[in-house]
Amino acid sequence: MRILVVEDEPHLAAQLRQALTDAGYAVDHAGNGREGWQMGGVQAYDAVVLDLGLPELDGLSVLRRWRAEGVHAPVLILTARDQWHEKVAGIDAGADDYLTKPFHTEELLARVRALIRRAQGLASPVLHGGPVALDTRSGRVTLDGHALVLTSHEYKVLAYLMHRPNAVVSRSELNEHIYAQDFDRDSNTIEVFVARLRKKLPAGLIETVRGLGYRLVAPP
Amino acid sequence: MSPGRRVTSLRLRLLALTGLGVALALLMAGMVISGLFRDALLRQFQSGLEQQLDQLIARVNFDAQGRPQLDDQSLSDPRWQKPYSGLYWQINSADQVVVLRSRSLWDASLANAPDLLSDGALHVHGGVGPRGTSLLVLERVVRPEEMPDLRWRLLVAGDTQAVDDAVTRIRGMLMLALGVLLVLLLLAGWAQVALGLAPLRALQQALTDVRQGRERQIRGPVPQEVQPLVDGFNAVLARNAEVIERARQQAGNLAHAVKTPLAVLAQAAQAAQRRAPSSGPEATADRVLPDLVIEQVALARRQVDWHLARARAAGAHGVAGQRVGVALVLRDLLRVMDKVHAGRALELRCHPVGGDIAFAGEAQDLQEMLGNLLDNACKWARAVVEIDVVLLADAAAPSLEVTIQDDGPGIPPEQRMEALARGGRVDESVPGSGLGLAIVDDLARLYGGALDLDTSPLGGLRARIRLPAMI
Repeated sequence: MRILVVEDEPHLAAQLRQALTDAGYAVDHAGNGREGWQMGGVQAYDAVVLDLGLPELDGLSVLRRWRAEGVHAPVLILTARDQWHEKVAGIDAGADDYLTKPFHTEELLARVRALIRRAQGLASPVLHGGPVALDTRSGRVTLDGHALVLTSHEYKVLAYLMHRPNAVVSRSELNEHIYAQDFDRDSNTIEVFVARLRKKLPAGLIETVRGLGYRLVAPP
Repeated sequence: MSPGRRVTSLRLRLLALTGLGVALALLMAGMVISGLFRDALLRQFQSGLEQQLDQLIARVNFDAQGRPQLDDQSLSDPRWQKPYSGLYWQINSADQVVVLRSRSLWDASLANAPDLLSDGALHVHGGVGPRGTSLLVLERVVRPEEMPDLRWRLLVAGDTQAVDDAVTRIRGMLMLALGVLLVLLLLAGWAQVALGLAPLRALQQALTDVRQGRERQIRGPVPQEVQPLVDGFNAVLARNAEVIERARQQAGNLAHAVKTPLAVLAQAAQAAQRRAPSSGPEATADRVLPDLVIEQVALARRQVDWHLARARAAGAHGVAGQRVGVALVLRDLLRVMDKVHAGRALELRCHPVGGDIAFAGEAQDLQEMLGNLLDNACKWARAVVEIDVVLLADAAAPSLEVTIQDDGPGIPPEQRMEALARGGRVDESVPGSGLGLAIVDDLARLYGGALDLDTSPLGGLRARIRLPAMI
């Protein structure tokens, strides 16, 4: 899951980045509105944390531009003003949720998790794929009720696939959603992670669609 | 009615002035016209008398002693013969002794003017007739040709009663005509005042609209004489709104300026808290500072929220002419709730709100109050939040009541006071500044309303907020 944080205050940006990275997300950061708008338009993010008070282009304008351009990523707006008219304006501009500063890290993470889940049309915070269950809140993965130990990259790949059950996910899409922008990527490593995951999971859960990518087969 | 009302009524002043002016003008016109008329009649009457006098002079004969003689029968006008007919003649000697007189004088005689007459001059003067009527008397001196030293005064007098009657009759008709004219002119004056002042009436309506919040500025065409006044008033209104908007903006900026550093502090403290060992001898020591920072940040946030909400509300309160449709504000907020709580399958039951139900106050304040109540209800509700708005009929102080209830756990009666207390939080485990209900209560009080908390038939909290309404 790849997240864009648009926040101009460097300390807060660093903290958000740290907290989200710790929670297992790949995080990109934009320090002003214009940069944020451009990044959000180029890369398909799974969620965006957008501060409203931004230099160069304010948050609401960024949001309106994205929505006008067809960027559908769920957006959580951060506002310091804590006034309802601003919240209404934010939601009307296309935001999916808001959070007022200062906030608890746990609350931010919970909101982001819920946004990503809702965007995929999933109601429960615990995702199921056959005998495998992934709790998005704790990051715990179980197989038939037993805890499964995964590395962080394995977890990211599995979480992304489980958010899109039965959909074909290309290698490059996986690449884009589990690495942050400044990470030195190697598309072959995706195959390595998938191979490792297959060893830990029941056979046939992740199938290869030749020439297209991978699919997590979840029995209904 | 205020003491200054009579003086300041433009309508009355204009009407009184017009009425007075018109009445005076008509009165003078009446007097002048009737005077001119009387003069004309008298002149005509006099010229008639002059003819009579000339006729008489032509018929006067003198005997050997030079005494005048006049044969009554030779005069054609029968009035000379008829007693007191109103037409008389008389001949006096130079020393004013009556020598001859007309039959119509009967036993009376014409009073003499105590003066001397030059030869040939026509003397005109008034006199009193046999029956006390007023007369116009014409006099001329005649002399027999043979004895030029003898002078006789020949008088002709006509009763002016007929002239006076005519004048009186004319004056009556004139009065009637002028009276009708006065009434017509007064009506025209009234219409003029009414039409002239009509724009002021429109202005009054525009002002009422502003006061009742239907308009922010005085609109519509106004006479150019009043335009500077309206412009000035609009400028004051705009400036007022601008000052409040700027104060709000500054409050918002302050919030932004303070809360971002607070957010940084809180994040840092929470990170430190997570890193601190959960047990062992250092655990307590390592947690002291983060705990303190988190606690103080929360406190600071509450203080900032509290004072900002108060400053905003106090700024807006007392600004005339505010009117906010409750239905509109609710619709906006419900849209937010729908989206923010989309993952929870909440049912937001909103009874239809009449479009005419309006809050007499600032839009953002209403948004703040209803937003906090709704957010609170949605946060705690299990499945249902119910919203109802009613207008409380009270002509003196119209008010509206918004009821927002949920099927959540509610607040036990003993904790309700605490929830309304400044910074009180009934449950610290659910995120929020814990000020929501207290700010709502405070704002409602500022507007002279009230917030009541009790138990909903749905099982959770029922919040009822009463606010001033604008009819």
